[in-house]
Amino acid sequence: MKSNLNVQLYKNRKVVWLVSFSLSIISIIGMLLCYRSSTINAPLNLGLDYTGGTQITLERQCNNICIELNTSDISNKIIALKNSDKNFNLNTSPNLSRSQIQLLDNSKLISIRLPFLSAEQSESVVSEVKKSFGPFINENTSVEIIGPSLGKQLLKSSLISLLFAFLGIALYINFRYDRRYSFLALFALLHDVLIVCGVFSWLGYIYNVEVDSLFAVSLLTIAGYSVNNTVVVFDRIREKCLIDKQLSFKYQIDNAVGATLTRTLYTSFTTLLPLICILIWGGSSLYWFAFALVIGVIAGSWSSIALAPSLLSITSKN
Amino acid sequence: MGRKNYWFLFIIIFAVLSIFICTKIPFQLGLDLRGGSQLTLEVQPTQEITKITSNEIEGVKAVLDKRVNGLGVSDSQLQTVGTNQLLLELPGEQDPSGAAKVLGETALLEFRIQKNGTEAQLRDLQTQRNSVESIIKLLEENNNSAQLIKEININNEINKLFEKYNIQSKQILDSEEFKLLRNKINTEIATLFEPTSLTGKYLTNAGRRQDQNTNNWEVTLTFNSEGGEKFADITKSIAGTSRLLGIVIDGNSYSEASVGKQFESAGITGGAATISGNFTSDDARNLEVQLRGGALPLPIDIIQIRTIGPSLGTQNIRISLIAALTGLFFVGIFMIFIYKLAGFVAVLALSFYSLFTLSIYALLPVTLTLPGIAGFILSIGMAVDANVLIFERLKEELRNSNTLIRSIDASFKNAFSSIIDGHLTTLISCITLFYLGTGFVKGFAATLGIGVVLSLFTALTCTKAILKFLMSYQGLRKISNFINPKQIPNASINPQQ
Repeated sequence: MKSNLNVQLYKNRKVVWLVSFSLSIISIIGMLLCYRSSTINAPLNLGLDYTGGTQITLERQCNNICIELNTSDISNKIIALKNSDKNFNLNTSPNLSRSQIQLLDNSKLISIRLPFLSAEQSESVVSEVKKSFGPFINENTSVEIIGPSLGKQLLKSSLISLLFAFLGIALYINFRYDRRYSFLALFALLHDVLIVCGVFSWLGYIYNVEVDSLFAVSLLTIAGYSVNNTVVVFDRIREKCLIDKQLSFKYQIDNAVGATLTRTLYTSFTTLLPLICILIWGGSSLYWFAFALVIGVIAGSWSSIALAPSLLSITSKN
Repeated sequence: MGRKNYWFLFIIIFAVLSIFICTKIPFQLGLDLRGGSQLTLEVQPTQEITKITSNEIEGVKAVLDKRVNGLGVSDSQLQTVGTNQLLLELPGEQDPSGAAKVLGETALLEFRIQKNGTEAQLRDLQTQRNSVESIIKLLEENNNSAQLIKEININNEINKLFEKYNIQSKQILDSEEFKLLRNKINTEIATLFEPTSLTGKYLTNAGRRQDQNTNNWEVTLTFNSEGGEKFADITKSIAGTSRLLGIVIDGNSYSEASVGKQFESAGITGGAATISGNFTSDDARNLEVQLRGGALPLPIDIIQIRTIGPSLGTQNIRISLIAALTGLFFVGIFMIFIYKLAGFVAVLALSFYSLFTLSIYALLPVTLTLPGIAGFILSIGMAVDANVLIFERLKEELRNSNTLIRSIDASFKNAFSSIIDGHLTTLISCITLFYLGTGFVKGFAATLGIGVVLSLFTALTCTKAILKFLMSYQGLRKISNFINPKQIPNASINPQQ
């Protein structure tokens, strides 16, 4: 019987652990930095979905090149609304000076972030910006207003669904294999989720990248994917142990990883292909979603090929 | 061609059916793909009703349903979300502020009787209101002209009024600010009246009409028989006195009327009344829609509004489809390159898979959103993985010098448990997401979940059936069609059988 590839995982197990450990530490540092930072104040840079607020996106109509705009001009116009617009003259009207304005896609898109506004107030902002900085493509305007209570709710429901999904997966593996496998699969999964969160905390800290509901979706997808990969390897380890009881457990693990290595790499590659295409051609709406998945797929492959099986070897008696 | 080919026949029939379904039944597109507005409304508890049960939310929904229908946006949809929220979708609507206004107000209509001894106070307030109303009219007729505003600004009386009602006085005033002032005065007036048992509950209909003399709009009310009797009783009790009847909506008095001495014996009968506040045609229409739907049993807050332009939606579809198709094209090339004939079979099976999945989306229907499309693309990834698992096994069996047909059977059998485990764990995530997630997270879970179930089916039946079908042709039944012969340790073994 010939093994597909000669993998010496047991021999190199300490290198594997060191790599995973350092990556986890870097991730935790990133999240701590975000948590300590006065502007973010949470382990991840939470976006509109979770904090509540208003996001207005306008697309400019330009010939070939869009002329550069000064974002402070736009924000000044918006602040001026407080004195001129009927929808803002209540005592309770929101603080318009807290606006964040970004120009995206070579100044073609204007993205305006404001505190929670009413429908009429957001209309006023849109018409003011359209009046002063036009022309715009009217059909390509999008407005998103999320109340602060809804934001908290979304965050809560995201965290709860993540937790329940993890629990369900752990129970399933516990039922199909045993507690040791279930624990390690869950450990590998948490490792992958931690690394993706870590990458996004650093991105949030340095480049102000935010996490939204789609990020929670990507974490769940990564969880499913990571467990899927780990299970395939575990399944093979169990099979090898049943067929050939003579060999040591450590050798069986190396053998099983070798046998599934090609499959895991191919699968990761074929999953990465459409994701990379979305990164390149998919436009801005799915960019960070695809990015999170790319990181997750890579981390998931690593943990299922190297981390989970190498940890399994220390739990065995021989 | 043996019995096994029944499956192949089935698959072909399914595929033809799917093509038929996909072309005949249109896909249901989410707002992010076709443009429109989406509002999330949250039902607020009050002091009396502190806990919101499904009964309460149904009551609110029934009222809002009528108001939404009154808005006249086609295809609009109102559904309950979770325990205390409602989600309203208005396809094609670009400015949801009108809808937000009509939906957000309680619209509690009350008929009140003036308290004794408040005549002088009422007269003062009515005078104030009249002057404010004439300013509003003047400003509107002159389009809020700057000259006029300047003149009004110097008026001490007016400034005092603004101060009294705690409206921040700014240099620039326009008619809207005076409307705010009018409402404050109306609230003040309403406090001079005491409630009766007659409310909007007893209305059977509401309408609007234009007064021929003043050109102002009026809202007409029709009571049911019980309401008609109550109205008669109330009017009877104050007929001929100096006490007035007030029509109060959401705590604002819209009009006050005296009841003539001639109604002393029977009150005003006939079960109809008119509210003649100084309405514009839009105001009257909104009030009519609100009154006809009845008052909201509980107040609501608008906690989310999303508006997306229609062409932005189609742009989203185009971009993501192009990206996805390009990605899948590369996957197909990769599969054929690595697995040769088996890769070709996988590409065929995956095309069938996509067809089946899309037709299920159209049939159920699943509302397709941008994350939903992402879910579909990921489910294709799962389907590819199942095929990779099988074919890697196949190669392994061939390397172990098994015959081709036996290897094919063994590969499906051995890959089975891995495929089941992988698919089921993903399905567990999907089900959790679907039940606990909100909004478009649900859409993602639905498309991925359906995809995973179908992928299990196609990987285990489609791929196998197509492979078996092709293996019934002698010319294709060669090991070299599946694996590079150099990789087989014992190449001398008979490649057929």
